[in-house]
Amino acid sequence: MNRGTQGLTHAETDSAVTLKGAAVRQDGFALGPLDLSVPAGMVTAIVGPYGSGKSTLMRLLLRLAPCEGEATVLGQRLAPDSDVRLRERIGFVSELPHAYENHLTADEKARFASLWYPGWSWDRYERLMRAFDADRTKKLGKLSKGMRRKAELAVAMAHDPELLLLDEPSSGLDPSAWKILLDELTRYMDQGDRTLIFATHITEEVRRLADYVLFMHRGRCLGLYEKDRLFEAWRVLAVQRVEGTAGREDAARLLKQAPGVQGAQEAGPGICRIETDALEETEAYLLSAGYRILSSQRMELEEIMACLVRKGEAGR
Amino acid sequence: MGRGGLWIPVHIDENRPEPLYHQVEVQLRGLILSGQLAEGTLLPSIREFAADLRCSAITVRRVYQDLENEGLLRTRQGTGTFVAGIDQSARDEFRLGRVVEAFERAVETGLQLQCSREEMERIWREAYARKKAEADGDKGEQR
Repeated sequence: MNRGTQGLTHAETDSAVTLKGAAVRQDGFALGPLDLSVPAGMVTAIVGPYGSGKSTLMRLLLRLAPCEGEATVLGQRLAPDSDVRLRERIGFVSELPHAYENHLTADEKARFASLWYPGWSWDRYERLMRAFDADRTKKLGKLSKGMRRKAELAVAMAHDPELLLLDEPSSGLDPSAWKILLDELTRYMDQGDRTLIFATHITEEVRRLADYVLFMHRGRCLGLYEKDRLFEAWRVLAVQRVEGTAGREDAARLLKQAPGVQGAQEAGPGICRIETDALEETEAYLLSAGYRILSSQRMELEEIMACLVRKGEAGR
Repeated sequence: MGRGGLWIPVHIDENRPEPLYHQVEVQLRGLILSGQLAEGTLLPSIREFAADLRCSAITVRRVYQDLENEGLLRTRQGTGTFVAGIDQSARDEFRLGRVVEAFERAVETGLQLQCSREEMERIWREAYARKKAEADGDKGEQR
């Protein structure tokens, strides 16, 4: 296993997934059109409220949903006649388990998977099942949600896929199983050339695992950000006019004119509360425009999401 | 980290204005140059360290690469990233550099408050004697 820096360097330039005007229209839900590029060798977290299109996006990548526009996965353009072997290079755990597998045990499901995936390793499967302390003899339909999750994760990772798609991977897991999952995903990514895309609404998972964050809302992409830059650049500022007070008109003007400002409100007598995604530019503008900055705080993921959603709604 | 990797005492202060990678880099450089991380120590993998720090692998990779370019780390393909051998003069330079910084700040304060050179020298001698006695006393008590 490569524990060093090399593994990550070349992969970054490539994309694991490229979408150009990709869209899904199905059952009254519309996803896209999406234009984005998910970097290979990296962990990308998809966040967004329920119904924002996270699961449909995964189904699109797996060709489980009919796709308009262009989609390229692991260098292969998705088309009705494209190579079925692409699916062998992907591991997937869906948000909800499949009812038709209820009568199988984990080992029986693994036996099917071992026939399908050329990269299958029984050693890897055994190791993961032991690490998760997953049950292998009861039928999947009889297992608790968390216990079934652990078995599904072990099966999905046992062929060491190039791309791992996990839809709400930790749903149903207790805290110790959750910690083991994070360790196993870290180990998986340590190989350097693997790509993980996971949908989640758990902030701590994003903090610990992700390199990039993809925000989604109502079937649209609200932005793909490098995580550390995201938390560095997004700030909430309290500002005041050096002379006189800042009122509602100031908030409206700053929202329109100041670079980087994503949201602005009057927040008390003479004080504006400003959300920015470009701290330095906003600060420079405010100082030159006669404002004083009273405080500057980092924003949590939920606050950034709320701000992006508000902006997206306003632009609709 | 559950995989037995070394835990590196680096602390990120989210409210500081410096970018994350800078905070991690300064602290890791300090741990190496002060000798707290000995030559040959295997560092956590980029992914493990990123998970510990709750930052992205991109940030940790940048820190490892910068410190490798400075000669403080080296990476062996397939094994990992290690603390490199650092000569004594680089360590001394780092050690004395921190003391010089602290003295410069004290002198700055003195000059701002119109202290004369004689006053500052007297303050230094007294402070040294006091702190040295305290330090020796502490050692005595521990015994």
